[in-house]
Amino acid sequence: MNSILTVQLLVAALVLGALYSLIALGLNLIYGTMRLLNVAHGEVVMLGGYIAYGMSTQLGLNTAYALIPSMFVSALLGFATYEVVCRPLLKKEQLLARVEANSLIIFFGVSIALQNIAALAFTASPKSYRYLDQIVTIGGASFAAYRLFALGVAGAACIGCMLFFRFSRTGLAIRALLQQRTASALVGIEADRINRVVFALGFAMAGLAGCLVSLTEPISPFGGFSFTISAFVVIILGGLGNLLGSLLGGLILGAIEVYGVALTSSNWHSIIVYSVFVVMLLWRPQGLFTRRTT
Amino acid sequence: MTEMASSSPAATPTAPFARVIGIAVVIGLLAAAPVFVGQYGLSVALNLFMSIALAESWLILSGFSGYVSLGHAVFFGLGSYIMAVCFDVMPFWAAIPLGGIAAGVLALVLGFPALNVRGPYFVILTFGLAELVKFVVVTIESAVGNFGRILMNAPDITLLYELMFGLAVLAFALVAVVQRSRLGAALRAIREDESAAETIGINVHTAKVAAFVLSAIIPGMVGAVMAMRSAYFEPMVAFSPMVSFTIVTTAMIGGSDTPMGPLLGAALLVGASELLWSHAPEAYNIILGIVLVVFVLHVPEGIHGRATAWVRRWERRAQ
Repeated sequence: MNSILTVQLLVAALVLGALYSLIALGLNLIYGTMRLLNVAHGEVVMLGGYIAYGMSTQLGLNTAYALIPSMFVSALLGFATYEVVCRPLLKKEQLLARVEANSLIIFFGVSIALQNIAALAFTASPKSYRYLDQIVTIGGASFAAYRLFALGVAGAACIGCMLFFRFSRTGLAIRALLQQRTASALVGIEADRINRVVFALGFAMAGLAGCLVSLTEPISPFGGFSFTISAFVVIILGGLGNLLGSLLGGLILGAIEVYGVALTSSNWHSIIVYSVFVVMLLWRPQGLFTRRTT
Repeated sequence: MTEMASSSPAATPTAPFARVIGIAVVIGLLAAAPVFVGQYGLSVALNLFMSIALAESWLILSGFSGYVSLGHAVFFGLGSYIMAVCFDVMPFWAAIPLGGIAAGVLALVLGFPALNVRGPYFVILTFGLAELVKFVVVTIESAVGNFGRILMNAPDITLLYELMFGLAVLAFALVAVVQRSRLGAALRAIREDESAAETIGINVHTAKVAAFVLSAIIPGMVGAVMAMRSAYFEPMVAFSPMVSFTIVTTAMIGGSDTPMGPLLGAALLVGASELLWSHAPEAYNIILGIVLVVFVLHVPEGIHGRATAWVRRWERRAQ
């Protein structure tokens, strides 16, 4: 029993959890403000990973310098996606009636297209590289340094996002849209501008997470899908549209995955994730922390 | 109801006898296709009818009721799995209906709780369930020590073509029957307003579960036939989410409210796949993704719906 109570496992769970929180945050923002189900979110994570890989191996730069560019490129992709795909969707009355199902199918198409573009551009073989792989010992426990780096950056980004939502005007406007879409239009919040910010921010966080993911595991064109699924599990744990809920949900899923695999075997990994997913949808689709309103 | 009656083609008084003859001739010619076309043509036709059979089946729940299933690969995969397991034990003509029955039972078991879940939750739930079943099968197969099963001495392509063609005709007929039935009317009522449908006395849950089971049986049998076609079973391939994705795309492109839709969608996609798949599979998938986006955004009624609207406008101008 003691073998699962190690600090290493705890850190592994925290790293994975923080990455999930970061990825799910964008997915949740996009759903909460526009009712769009972005199943192409995992592909943005892979994009961030490829940028970090490219800058570290091709340009020989320190991976820390890749954090900002991967956020920037991902934000641009988010901006373009909103303009090309989502604005026409949100404008049409007929499509808006079933916006969730329609957006899901649209983003499924986007996701398949992005995966195969990545396969053409980078080949289908998984890519990995080394960065900060020396061992650090803190208080008798040893970790690979990149894990602490990933944990620090992801944690800081999550905290930064929560501060942004609490104190900035734009952040407050986003939360207003999450809570009362029509009422926030009445008090003069320009939904179109906020939607664009949400897409840019959500994609930037996914790209940043991708940068960090590329440190902990190899990236491949079709590897984004599992992150999309995990992010969906996280926001269903936390409740669609509930931002703090999805941060906690990320940590919970990280813990379930790491400890679940430690107690069984890695063959069970996917079964564990999908079981949590299915059970949550059947039992409490509104999330662990949200009261049923309807 | 009035709108449904006017939109159904049966209401127009064209000579029913001539119609029946016409349909019989088309079916007869297609069934005799192995006489006219070569090996390659037959394999393309087999893929075409597989696409049609799958997309028609999908329509029964998802097209009519609006409950989009993103997990139909699970029924296809289960049918393949049943065939792979039973191939050496029983004759294949017994394993095919067994695959269908197994898929129907799975749909009943999964659909009973899942169809209480509404809207976007249902869509992602079907996907999650399909993946869960896939990984359970993967785990079972690796626990048994199997890494793929080979089907020795599978029937030749002519027979498989006839089987698949039969399944496609069956699926088309099933959709046409459901469309005109009370069940079809109930499903459309659910699509327009589920609470209202419940209020006027439709047992919505029973209707949805019945439609889900009906839409699962033929994909199970299609999966069983396709396992013999590839002569190989590997769970990651047979249960691949790409199967579900292609089914949804085919139906959405063709138009998902009439049995004619999937015929057009399948013709377009199988044609594109034959032109591109062997040379550039990535390019094919990229185009597939983009086409899906364009269709949902700009042609949500599908090719069939758009064509019907054009014909009507043209007729009105001619009068």
